[in-house]
Amino acid sequence: MLTQKAWSPYLAGVVIGLLQIPAFLLIETALGASSSYVTIGALVASWIDPSILTVKYASSHVAATGKNWWQVALVAGIAVGAFVSMKMSGARRAAISPIWANALGSASPAKRYAVAFFGGFIMLLGARIADGCTSGHGLSGMAQLAVGSTVAVAAMFAGGIATAMLVLRRI
Amino acid sequence: MSLTFAILVGIGMGIVFGFALEKSRVFEPGIIVGQMQMRNFIMLKVFLTAVATGAVVLAVLNGFGFVKLAPKAALYSADIIGGLILGAGIALAGACPGTTLAQVGAGYRDAIFTLIGGLFGAVAYTYAQPALSKTFLAQGGGKIIFSDLIGIPYWIGALVLAAVIVLILVALEAWKPWRDEMGRDVDGDLPAPVSPAVRTQPAE
Repeated sequence: MLTQKAWSPYLAGVVIGLLQIPAFLLIETALGASSSYVTIGALVASWIDPSILTVKYASSHVAATGKNWWQVALVAGIAVGAFVSMKMSGARRAAISPIWANALGSASPAKRYAVAFFGGFIMLLGARIADGCTSGHGLSGMAQLAVGSTVAVAAMFAGGIATAMLVLRRI
Repeated sequence: MSLTFAILVGIGMGIVFGFALEKSRVFEPGIIVGQMQMRNFIMLKVFLTAVATGAVVLAVLNGFGFVKLAPKAALYSADIIGGLILGAGIALAGACPGTTLAQVGAGYRDAIFTLIGGLFGAVAYTYAQPALSKTFLAQGGGKIIFSDLIGIPYWIGALVLAAVIVLILVALEAWKPWRDEMGRDVDGDLPAPVSPAVRTQPAE
């Protein structure tokens, strides 16, 4: 099971959904990912520009609270879990997924890296404006029947579909 | 809750999360971009299953009074504008904020650029936040949930949502079986469909 290359999306989805149990019972919060980018980003930025911590949004995310650093540990753990899963199944990945040559119309790594950087930048800019991402608004907000989260998820898919259809080429 | 305990719980949960993301292949750029081009539905299947599972879990935990819900406030302008920008970023990155880390773990080098771009984006927002908090983006309703709007207990609403999602997934799976959406190298890189014009050409 752990050495398989692919699980049914339904099995994986159940495992992810069950993670709400320790999140709510032990940390008293819901699954989320994008706040951790503020915690790490603002912390690193404060080494160069200490005045960023006068912004309450920065200092509250960097503060040594369980919720802040639980989420940083969670996303770090995601990288570890994916790495271990990959090693156990023996799947091998190229440095860049082969779909990008089609999607970008170019096999240039430099172009892909630039698009990835820009994509990551607006991804977090948007997630912070919306106050949540696919995890916080999507997995957790929709499971809690939150009205704002449902609106945010609809907007995410609308923005994603429009961009993938109009900006990227068919993969 | 001590900081050390929270971090240990986070790492443990993250490893399970990363495992599930990797095994489901939903972290693959081919699966995520494929979903946004509406030709691959693995992402929707994993996502909706996780939402339904979370809804059942919370219906039980909240229904029996073990936990309080923690919904985010409904800030409609921010939800729509931020959601649209986030969605555009997901398509270009071929990842979302969580799956970016799974891509890094799986060895995709471009995901490191996504991650660094994401950190810059978060810092840029942080600098802009005091100004943005005085605009229309900070306006909206409170922590509204659908079951309160209808006037039913949360746990009933959550179980109804889960039931509806199960019906959608059954239909989705009947239409597009997940095994057909994985691709030869389980990365969502599917062969281009053979068009009828090509298929009718005589063999050599």
